[in-house]
Amino acid sequence: MVEPLQLQSAAWALTTTLELALFVQLVRRKLHRISPLFFAYLMSVIFQSAAEAVLYRNTNLDKMSFWRIAWGMQAIVLFMRSLALLELSRNILSRYAGIWALARRLFLGVAAAVIAYDLALSQGDWKWLIQNGVRGLELAMAAVIVTVVIFARYYWVPINQFQRALAVGFCLYSSFYVINYSLFEKVFQQYAVLWNFLGMIAFIASLLLWISAAHSYAAYEEVAVPPTIPSELYGKLSSEVNTRLLLLNRQLIQFLRLEDRSQ
Amino acid sequence: MSLPVILLVLFALLLVGLLAWALRPPAHQTRPELDVFDALQQSRHSSRMSHVLQALQPEDTEYLRGSGELALMRTLRRQRRLIALQYLDQLQKEFEMLLDISRVLAVMSPEVIGIEEMERWKLSLAFAATCAFLRWKLRLGLRPFSGFTLLAKMAADIARQLDAATTRIAESTVRGSEHSALGHKNLDGQ
Repeated sequence: MVEPLQLQSAAWALTTTLELALFVQLVRRKLHRISPLFFAYLMSVIFQSAAEAVLYRNTNLDKMSFWRIAWGMQAIVLFMRSLALLELSRNILSRYAGIWALARRLFLGVAAAVIAYDLALSQGDWKWLIQNGVRGLELAMAAVIVTVVIFARYYWVPINQFQRALAVGFCLYSSFYVINYSLFEKVFQQYAVLWNFLGMIAFIASLLLWISAAHSYAAYEEVAVPPTIPSELYGKLSSEVNTRLLLLNRQLIQFLRLEDRSQ
Repeated sequence: MSLPVILLVLFALLLVGLLAWALRPPAHQTRPELDVFDALQQSRHSSRMSHVLQALQPEDTEYLRGSGELALMRTLRRQRRLIALQYLDQLQKEFEMLLDISRVLAVMSPEVIGIEEMERWKLSLAFAATCAFLRWKLRLGLRPFSGFTLLAKMAADIARQLDAATTRIAESTVRGSEHSALGHKNLDGQ
């Protein structure tokens, strides 16, 4: 029977191989120029894998130092992922100035609310503050990605295959992290190996998705920048359209009310 | 596991579900190339509400009862209910068209008014719910009611208001086009 630690080592090796494969694909398809922050994020992940391998071999290191270094690297990766996510959101929506401005405000609100809620769960216990903070950040990232995709769908903003794959990969990984961490929170120590292994599986799925999207990426998927109208004209037309919508809605409600009264 | 943590897990699952929903292919043809001015000038079904209400009035078919044509009266009322259902479909299409216009405008605008976008979103939810409710009531058999005269009057008022609103749109559009030749050019897709 395969030992859990052997399984984890195999998953680790596979993750590193896939990270390198994605690195090659991004360079080959010149996607590192289109998404430089995503590329930087990947580099940080590769660096993290290499550094962790060195750390595990160094048996002289005490537990506390190891913990600090590991979380320090995790913080860097998390920061790079946040930047990659911002880059993805900007790449999808920034061509549309008005929507992008509105979306940015909404993202900030969503992210702040989610992180605040999660941090509140720590109830001032500093031991859980960092880990709950990471979970809050992961959940906020997932929420922002979903908001971007919903925004794009509502306003018919096109999302190319590569962007779509990035969004799905980020969201799945972050959501899985939250579920995984929340379920294992109380039994964290006993099931640390399983917890790490499941996290790796989620990341492997995201890597496979990104590699596939990078492999099939076509430059012609890029869309043209739409024309713009003056803000003043938008303001007038927008409020008039709202008036018409409001009247139509009122018409229906009156129809309904009168019918109810007559029943 | 405490309730707040369960809520977090549920929220994460909800996010995955929402992502899957948002990435699925659209149910109807998207209209990013929609011409705003053409769409605004299209005929409005809402202005015909008074005719539809008139057709649903019991007095319109009541005389058949007097002449002993009960079966015919029922058939006529059923057919008119079907027409009312079709009218509701058209009303919904008109509403959706207006929403489409607002989206096209938002995409082209350098500044989007968040409150108006939110207002539209709320309206679209309310409209969809009311429309669905009314459709089901009509399908189940709309009972004739006495307040139709009043309703017809109100419908006429609303139609007048709609006309005034549309005129204002046309005026502001023309003014906007005059102020900015570029804006007009862009809206024409040139």
